[in-house]
Amino acid sequence: MPTDVVIRCEHVDRTFETDDGREHAVLQDIELDVRTGEFLVLIGSSGCGKSTLLNIMAGFDKPSSGSVSVLGRPIAGPGPDRAMVFQDYALLPWLDAMHNVEIGLRLQGHPRNERMQTAREVLELVGLGHAMDRPVYKLSGGMQQRVSIARALALKPAVLLMDEPFGALDAFQRGTMHRELQRIWKSTGSSIVFVTHSLEEALVLGTRVVAMSPGHRGMRGEVVLDPEGTRDPLSAAFTELKHELFALVSADTPAASAFLE
Amino acid sequence: MTNARRRSRLLPNAALSVIGPLAFIALWWVAAASSLFPSAVLPAPPAVVAALYEWAFGNPVNGPYSGSLGVAIAASTQRVLVGYLIAAVLGVLIGIPAGYFRVFGRIIDPLIQLLRPIPVTAWVPLSLVFFGFGFKGAIFLVALGSFFPIVVNTIEGVRGANRMLVRVGRMLGANQFQLLTLFILPASLPAIFVGLRVGIGLAWVLVIVAELLSVKSGIGYTLIDAYGVNRYDVVISAMILLGVMGFLSDRIVVAIGSILLRWHREMSIHAD
Repeated sequence: MPTDVVIRCEHVDRTFETDDGREHAVLQDIELDVRTGEFLVLIGSSGCGKSTLLNIMAGFDKPSSGSVSVLGRPIAGPGPDRAMVFQDYALLPWLDAMHNVEIGLRLQGHPRNERMQTAREVLELVGLGHAMDRPVYKLSGGMQQRVSIARALALKPAVLLMDEPFGALDAFQRGTMHRELQRIWKSTGSSIVFVTHSLEEALVLGTRVVAMSPGHRGMRGEVVLDPEGTRDPLSAAFTELKHELFALVSADTPAASAFLE
Repeated sequence: MTNARRRSRLLPNAALSVIGPLAFIALWWVAAASSLFPSAVLPAPPAVVAALYEWAFGNPVNGPYSGSLGVAIAASTQRVLVGYLIAAVLGVLIGIPAGYFRVFGRIIDPLIQLLRPIPVTAWVPLSLVFFGFGFKGAIFLVALGSFFPIVVNTIEGVRGANRMLVRVGRMLGANQFQLLTLFILPASLPAIFVGLRVGIGLAWVLVIVAELLSVKSGIGYTLIDAYGVNRYDVVISAMILLGVMGFLSDRIVVAIGSILLRWHREMSIHAD
């Protein structure tokens, strides 16, 4: 296996059983490599399997068949090498920001000094150096999501998995978080898998955007972006990419294809 | 505006809350002064206050109801404390895995549902047979009575805890024990404290049941003993004392809860 692959999905199928006992395939024969240092975005409408694929990478779900490995080792369950940032933050409300961030290191038996040091560093990285001792429930949604990102970064994961992390934020907060996440990604060199249903979010953030759609039980195609290129949503180039991506995401929904033809 | 409204209501609120008790005492006083009840059966408030004072500070040579209050309180409180702590530890220790592990829950649930409807007082004969007339029997009844609300609320709390926390814990690398103690237990504490509060009330009910029926000391024993010799001033003194003890222990549980659950209280305020 080439060393520049963080997560490798081979022939991944995921089938759910419906209430009336029929089998419903959400993912079929998925082949996907997450490359070291890339910002990979999975995009698609609801039901396209993007979150299922992310949960499989996280180890919260298992493929019905096929294999998924992280740094060459098969995934047996969730673990700190694949840190997840959840849409609803999922912080521990009885702890302050600092302890929410250091608890992962505590569970792995790191000494106290080192934990506090790391927690301070990542909180400063996400711009929360001033709020370390604040109870997390007193923070705004955007700040809570920063804590959640800091918690994930503190684990020094091989890959950061983000499940529509900014879905609950308003447009202004989301814009700020996009810039912040870009900055963090560039300064840490992390590999990121980011799930969204927003075309604009995908194209603003990603270096590679994989389009998924329900009818295809998985991937439809991908758009590769220049990491250093402009991400101005008002530029003509951006609009063109958006059209291309929209076509990929919605090609198999009858109404959309009629519209595009 | 809100401040002014709050201040203007503060005084009337305090005044409102003493109307009930004062009216009750007045009614009691009138009834005692009337010829409806002989004063030996329904003593007036001053007579009860005198009996309470004698029970607390009188010279023990004057009889069993003089200067023995402290001993009675200590005896009852000790039984409540030991029985209640056993119930709290067992209730949480059984409730958490019963709420978390589906198989263990399936096993333990029917047992709890089957035993819980049996009034704890119905256990008295068996308790006497197995634990005798002393300390152990009283502890058994107290522990059994407060166990059920604690275990039931703990199970509910664990089942209601955000399932996302389990994912977070596993992602952060928690083992099963850490998952239960560092994630599930704190998340369930609000519900556990509901059970602990119901439990402390029942603990006092059951310590009195035990003392009325078998144990030969404590506030409940003084109450039934005084009834036997028609000392209704002491009976009512014991009732008042039980009310105070129940109230104080409830306050203690609430105070501990409000320290541990500050996040929960403030979080619900913030959600508004």
